[in-house]
Amino acid sequence: MEPLIGMGVLALMGAAATVAGASEDLESDVGSQSNPNSQVQLAPQMMYPHRIYNKAISGEPPSNALMCAVGGTVATVLMSAYNMSPVFAIAMGALLAAIVHGTYSVTAFFGRPTSQKRFKQPVYLDILWSHTPVIMGYSYITTFCILVISYLMVAVLGHPFPLPLLAFIWGIAIGAVGSSTGDVHYGAEREFQSVEFGAGLNAANSGNIVRKGESGLRNGFDNSWFCAKFGGPVTGIAFGMVVFLSGWVTTVFDPARGDAIGWLSVIAGALLVLIMILWNRKIEVAARAAYGPYKEDEVAA
Amino acid sequence: MSAGGPGGEAHGGVAPGKIIAFGVLGGLIGIYGAHFLSIINPAFSFIGALGAICAIVWGADAVRRVCSYGLGTGVPSIGMIALGMGVIASLFGLAVGGIAGPIVALIAASIIGLVIGLLANKVLGMNIPIMEKSMVEIGGAGALAIVGLSTTMAGTFMFDEVLALVVAPGYIAVIFIAGGMGILHPFNACLGPDEEQDRTLAVGFEKGAIAMIIAGIVSMVISTTAAIPAIMIGVFIWYISFAKFYELTKRDAYKVLGTGLLPTEEELQ
Repeated sequence: MEPLIGMGVLALMGAAATVAGASEDLESDVGSQSNPNSQVQLAPQMMYPHRIYNKAISGEPPSNALMCAVGGTVATVLMSAYNMSPVFAIAMGALLAAIVHGTYSVTAFFGRPTSQKRFKQPVYLDILWSHTPVIMGYSYITTFCILVISYLMVAVLGHPFPLPLLAFIWGIAIGAVGSSTGDVHYGAEREFQSVEFGAGLNAANSGNIVRKGESGLRNGFDNSWFCAKFGGPVTGIAFGMVVFLSGWVTTVFDPARGDAIGWLSVIAGALLVLIMILWNRKIEVAARAAYGPYKEDEVAA
Repeated sequence: MSAGGPGGEAHGGVAPGKIIAFGVLGGLIGIYGAHFLSIINPAFSFIGALGAICAIVWGADAVRRVCSYGLGTGVPSIGMIALGMGVIASLFGLAVGGIAGPIVALIAASIIGLVIGLLANKVLGMNIPIMEKSMVEIGGAGALAIVGLSTTMAGTFMFDEVLALVVAPGYIAVIFIAGGMGILHPFNACLGPDEEQDRTLAVGFEKGAIAMIIAGIVSMVISTTAAIPAIMIGVFIWYISFAKFYELTKRDAYKVLGTGLLPTEEELQ
């Protein structure tokens, strides 16, 4: 393949991945999933009942893998059995995936608060009716973008894996990136907005999440509104970089052109990882210098 | 996922022995029924997915029993390991077993489960009394779920057909995750001190039905005759089990409210 076409496809994949990353994180924030959900789950037990969606489907990687694998499977069936156009098949696959994801969200929403009967946590149906379509909407966008990436890899870049398997793997990857990148913004910043920045989570604050909003009682929409300012986009950039840079090294240094060039791609990949480790360290040190030291340290000093 | 497990032996409901019999016998009857009746008419391939639902419900119950020992964050992991064991065992069983393939797969999964259970308890020192037994059950349930869904997709459990129609096109990925989520999600969704077995297992049926619908969609590749019964029966089981789950939610919840403010301080006392 022409290197320029390869770079163009890669750019498209990177753009789709950026959108997918942002929507994945905001989807997990509306419903409260993954790590920050531990505190949502704990809150009623600590006498803090709330009106936040408790979407304990599983960790983000398995639930996103399910969405994407279902979408990839349906799209492949429509393309292979009925010769449908890829765009239509991918759209239909993403639609069914969003519906399946919606049912998983609903069972978790009903199941968790109901099992907290002794802590008097009510099940609010208006939260279900208002939040579930939004969760499904975000999951549609995520699945659609992941299927675009997977389809481009199979159809244009000639990847040997079938579409459902690639979609499954990218589903796990986006769940992992969303969980590790975006969760911090929702879990540490939004749920504990009442404590000082950088204070960490003191054991005494466990479950004491912010339950009152800018107007009325806080819910998942308020959280996704907040996270859309930073957590969502930064997750999108992180996942976009994962997709773009991991493809970039083998597009520029194509192993098909010889072993030596293949090794160059490995070296380029290792260099990128090294640069990012150093860069991240610098950001962390700069943030500590600007906003720290922590309160405990001041007291000790 | 999160905190809130009761941290002790699971209580109440249908005895484990009955659920194990339901899973093993239902799973095997479904798989063999689908295999032999599909020769007469491909429309019968949906029976394999019914077997898979039995296995998924069994797996969900086994997860419930072992995770009641406070495995909050371990619930999704244990579901994934179930299908990890299941994939290896089912491919091995179908490859070497011929017509006895599903039984070989079940036995192989049980052995792998026993080894993992022993490693978890003896080497990692988890010291959960029922760990070995549960891992055997979870592995077996995972294997039967995979073979059952594969039989519905391919119309047979013969290795060459399963390899060509399920593994090579990548549909094994959706079996892996839909089966695994069917096993792990019910207890994860209902986790908490007031969890009840019937409510958790209603979710098991509901998630098994979703896996059945997806298997039905894949069987469109073989024939529409096979796909329509699987999808329609799957939707029917989904509706019945979801309605049951909602009914049990209303029974068990503190309050199911259309909307409302938070409980007052006095109410919480």
